[in-house]
Amino acid sequence: MKALSLLLFTLIHVNLISQTTVYGKVIDNQGIPIMGANVYLEGTYDGTATSENGLFSFETEEQGEQTLIVSSISFETYSKSAEINFFNNIIIKLKDDVNTLDAVTVNAGTFNAGDNAKVTALKPLDIVTTAGALGDFVGALQTLPGTSNVAEDGRLFVRGGDAEETQIFVDGMRVFTPYSPSTNNIPTRGRLSPFLFKGITFSTGGYSAEYGQALSSVLLLTSIDEPQEEKTEISIMSVGVGLGNTQKWKNSSLSLNISYINLTPYQKIYSDDNDWHKPVASLSGEAVYRYKFNNDALLKVYSAYSAVNFDLTQKDINEIDGIRFGLKNKNLYVNSSYKDFLKKDWSIVSGVSFANDYSEINYSLAEITDIENSAHLKTTLNKYFSSRYKLSFGAEYFITNFSENYRDSSIDRLYTFDNNILSSFVETDIFFSKKLATKIGLRGEYSELLQEFNLSPRISLAYKSGENSQFSLAYGKFFQNPKNEYLKYDTNFTAENTTHYIANYQYVKNKQIFRAEAYYKDYNDLVKYDTPVALPISSYSNSGNGYAKGLDIFWRDNKSIKNTEYWLSYSYLDTERDFQNYPTKATPNFASTHNASIVLKCWIEDWKSQAGLSYNFASGRNYTNPNKRGFLTEQAKNFHSLNFNYAYLMSPQKILYFSISNVLGTQNINGYQYANEANTNGIFDRRAITPAADRFFFVGFFWTISDNKNDNQLDNL
Amino acid sequence: MKTILLIASFIFTISLTAQTPYEKGMTKAFELWGNQKNTEAIQLFERIASAETDNWLPSYYAGLIEIITSFNIKDEALLTTKLTRAKGYLDNAATISENNPEILVSYALLNTAYIAFDGQKYGMSLSGENIALYKKAASIAPNNPRVLLSKTEWDMGSAKFFEKSIAPYCEDIDQAIVLFEEEKQTIPFYPYSGLERAKEISSNCKKETSPN
Repeated sequence: MKALSLLLFTLIHVNLISQTTVYGKVIDNQGIPIMGANVYLEGTYDGTATSENGLFSFETEEQGEQTLIVSSISFETYSKSAEINFFNNIIIKLKDDVNTLDAVTVNAGTFNAGDNAKVTALKPLDIVTTAGALGDFVGALQTLPGTSNVAEDGRLFVRGGDAEETQIFVDGMRVFTPYSPSTNNIPTRGRLSPFLFKGITFSTGGYSAEYGQALSSVLLLTSIDEPQEEKTEISIMSVGVGLGNTQKWKNSSLSLNISYINLTPYQKIYSDDNDWHKPVASLSGEAVYRYKFNNDALLKVYSAYSAVNFDLTQKDINEIDGIRFGLKNKNLYVNSSYKDFLKKDWSIVSGVSFANDYSEINYSLAEITDIENSAHLKTTLNKYFSSRYKLSFGAEYFITNFSENYRDSSIDRLYTFDNNILSSFVETDIFFSKKLATKIGLRGEYSELLQEFNLSPRISLAYKSGENSQFSLAYGKFFQNPKNEYLKYDTNFTAENTTHYIANYQYVKNKQIFRAEAYYKDYNDLVKYDTPVALPISSYSNSGNGYAKGLDIFWRDNKSIKNTEYWLSYSYLDTERDFQNYPTKATPNFASTHNASIVLKCWIEDWKSQAGLSYNFASGRNYTNPNKRGFLTEQAKNFHSLNFNYAYLMSPQKILYFSISNVLGTQNINGYQYANEANTNGIFDRRAITPAADRFFFVGFFWTISDNKNDNQLDNL
Repeated sequence: MKTILLIASFIFTISLTAQTPYEKGMTKAFELWGNQKNTEAIQLFERIASAETDNWLPSYYAGLIEIITSFNIKDEALLTTKLTRAKGYLDNAATISENNPEILVSYALLNTAYIAFDGQKYGMSLSGENIALYKKAASIAPNNPRVLLSKTEWDMGSAKFFEKSIAPYCEDIDQAIVLFEEEKQTIPFYPYSGLERAKEISSNCKKETSPN
């Protein structure tokens, strides 16, 4: 009886309320029906899923204006508000979701590392677990194609460019002195600790208009927004000690790090070619403060201070007793950035970075004091129109004040200059579809010192040719003011510049990446001078030029061998330049025609260990032999280095780490130094420039103390 | 790290007199889920969520199913697409119900799906995030059995990895069982389940840590 009355009631109810049928078809942008899309009226229970042929149909009692939602995985959600009758026999075309992993990426010239990237050439841990990298992020990047091995220098040399053509940025702000000071034939290291960063973008050409004053390459580091927990870290190493502490509060966090490195004990046990009076000792501290505002705005302040000291005598063919070189360097760097989300999908990023670098150098009998103060101010506005169209523009100002005081028995001189540059840029990202995307930018720079304005267009385009493959192209013009070592003597210059043309092919499938990139770079207005080294009395001009062209190949496979990841890089480089004091066009001594790396990492479950091997190869670099005719026509022998590292997880929080570079002790030759004068037989004697020591050992013990018993310092290694 | 699929084994006591559209919808959605019609279940939860704008449960379940069905996916593009959607659902649920321990635990499960796919790539950043999530959930709801169970399972996974004894964690599992049994099940469609899984782990514990 009850059931009957309910039924009756329902029937009457239904009769009283008019029903509308919502029906139609859902297709993609090529007209192919989409099956299983969710179609419903917002705020109601009325809806259904589309059938195999994309059709849907459901009844509703709703009246008046309604919003129809259609959502399906891999497509942008469709939403339309209209009178209910509008949704009769409607055809809905869903747009591809361009934010998915399988959408095209504009990537010519660029490698990404970090877990936020779509295609990751390097994973966060790779930075620190690559054999031979010794915990230096620059070392890990040198296993990527496009870089040239210049073992005695340690900095990044990209595609025929010298190290100063690469600029490093943290959170968009320039790092003015990214490398620890060093001297001839002793490779330098990056100053920044790798564990501060969550993402690394390494561009070997064709990069965004947001970045300038770099002819060859930019390295973009993104710092961690929020540390995960409070912890204390203790490191005891064969070369020094380190201590770190992180504190967290409700909206803010502070990380402090201090380390003391002293190579005296190491040099005592394992001496090298140099005669050390005071082996390298450095004290450095870093502090990172982060504050999150209630509206998700974020302020980050990074500051670092380091003091480095060393004194040694190095062999020299022209000086029987060698040349004495002493250095005391103090460096302060502050980088602060602020990011805020504004109304209507606008966001703003503002930052200031500042560096003070003070060096006292004793070179033979001369005393040199260098002081460099630099600052970078920048503001960028971003507008997110849709996932398919973004716009950003901004302005920045670089200030550099450099002064050098040179004193010896006969001279006491001060060289100084201000190099200030005002720039602005605008850039847009457009996705035409999931398969075709472009990035177009324009950058303008005005140099106060050179009194000139330069305009750099940048454009890149990417097309997805298949399910796993894509092609990209990039073009860009890049300007950079001449180096400090010329500006301190002469400022009558124009900016050096280069044009990049890049074509890239990438194939990504299931933990395997193949990437091939061909490029051509055209250098103009390079600085030339007419003396053996750059001197105050030299006459300078911008009459130099050159080119670099080549092919970079990268293959990474994390799949085929169990518990093992490996990658292979190969770079072919053909470059010639007429610059500095070159009498003719020649391949510079920092460029090698063939560079290759193999990196292998293997996790050994039973031993709780990770073992790593890397092998680096570089074909011999050029040098000039004064006993023969010709300039930079001789080639040193090929470079080989096999490196090994081993990390043992004693417990989740204790790690024992061991590494050895150049296991085989290959006698590498980086070049030759010739005597200034011929000997009695009329021959110029020479001395091979070899690494100070063939091998380098490192042993460390790393201990993390935190509530979370699983955290460790793997990322510190 | 052993994948935690505890929530997959939900058992619901659903009132037989499902009458409001909400009850009807939820019952139907669970039925679809129970019959492995995961996509349909997610879609229905999504539709219910659009109608019930102040109820976190439909979005929570839509997210949860996306996460659970992401485990064992081999295609990274599909994995991230699904987990991005899952995160959207959970974000929606979290806006409706702030500091909800059940949602916090689901965020940790989402991270676990990424870590299970590629530990080298995602482990470093996400495992720390998970610790923080469990810590937060435990401070909000110290007596929530599911929070204790998930956290303990996570800890056990790490202990096993380092060949440490899991015995200390077995007590936590037993404590979770006590909490499960004490829990008053008052809210319809609330994710109360987990007892079965806790019992299973507990019995394995006893086997592994017994003297022979």
